[in-house]
Amino acid sequence: MSVWQSIYEELNDPDFVIISAAQDTGGEAVAGPIFDAAKASYVQIVDVNHAISSAFNFVNVPSAAWVDEAGNIVRIDEGTYAKTHPFGGTDAYAPALKDWVRNGAASVYVQAADEVTDNIRRRTPEQEKAEAAFRLGNFFREKGYAEKAEHYWLMARTLHPDSINFFRQDLTLSEEGSAGESFMKFRTEFAEAGKDYYRPLDLD
Amino acid sequence: MAPAIMAHPDLRTPFEKTGLGPERGATVLARDKAVGVKRILQEPGLWVLPEDLTRINGFTLKPEGACLGELCIPLQQGSDLLKTVDDQQWINVSAFADLMEQAWVVDDDARVWSFGEMPATRQSMFANAQAPEFEIQDRQGNVVRMSDFKGKKALIITWSSW
Repeated sequence: MSVWQSIYEELNDPDFVIISAAQDTGGEAVAGPIFDAAKASYVQIVDVNHAISSAFNFVNVPSAAWVDEAGNIVRIDEGTYAKTHPFGGTDAYAPALKDWVRNGAASVYVQAADEVTDNIRRRTPEQEKAEAAFRLGNFFREKGYAEKAEHYWLMARTLHPDSINFFRQDLTLSEEGSAGESFMKFRTEFAEAGKDYYRPLDLD
Repeated sequence: MAPAIMAHPDLRTPFEKTGLGPERGATVLARDKAVGVKRILQEPGLWVLPEDLTRINGFTLKPEGACLGELCIPLQQGSDLLKTVDDQQWINVSAFADLMEQAWVVDDDARVWSFGEMPATRQSMFANAQAPEFEIQDRQGNVVRMSDFKGKKALIITWSSW
């Protein structure tokens, strides 16, 4: 069972849902077995077009938004690891989530609307175009037109070079994979440029 | 440093080639859907019938303009947005997208248009932290919308196999 599933069962709250979206152009074939192994009973989405990342302006995985009963985002765009992870995330995240589910607006982890809006990434017109290009590339890939797919995925990466999702998803088609030498070089250069691989967690 | 994750070797091989869409029309990618449009005007831009406008972006053509909920965008007849040819009204979806500052990319050879998010439908997220609406199928084939979860707390989490 996954950490998220155990948290979901521990909370056992009919008014709390987890909507888990695999950002995977490989589709059910690659994401499905992971959901099954997690014995997930929450909402499971295989998001081949990265539509959820696009909607919430995420650029990396895992990322999350907390949405309250009225549809207000109360936290957004954090490296959402349930436990401390070398790439980001701390052991404090899961307890903070539980505190919010149990205490709602009274939770100290709820952020005000202006803080949330400050934390939503803005996309430039070029980055907006990158979203459309990635979707187009994925369409061609699904139809078997590899050259066109690569053309538009490269366009997406060029228009939005800070999208870790676009970069690593593209690398899954390479021999070295998504966590090989190219990724390590990308991550190093990202850090050297002063960019956050994840937006820093603020759980104080 | 975390150990490297291997790519999925079976995914490196492209899928078998299949048809790209209507022979004379266009395929439009928008809102996580692929919409086949059978009739388009053979002119620059993506000119579609009013009913296809709705299928593509949810807007409905009304006397006051193109409308989505309470949002109505006036369109001038005979402009680069709206015109009548042989008593049939046509609307230029790509010009409408430009007007709405919605990004798009087209593959002219295959007549496939891909539209990004429409800023006008997401203003409440940036202004008031309202969660954006989305519509996507879950693994069981059910349509999932953000608005389905009003009245509940929701953790929306993205992850990947890679």
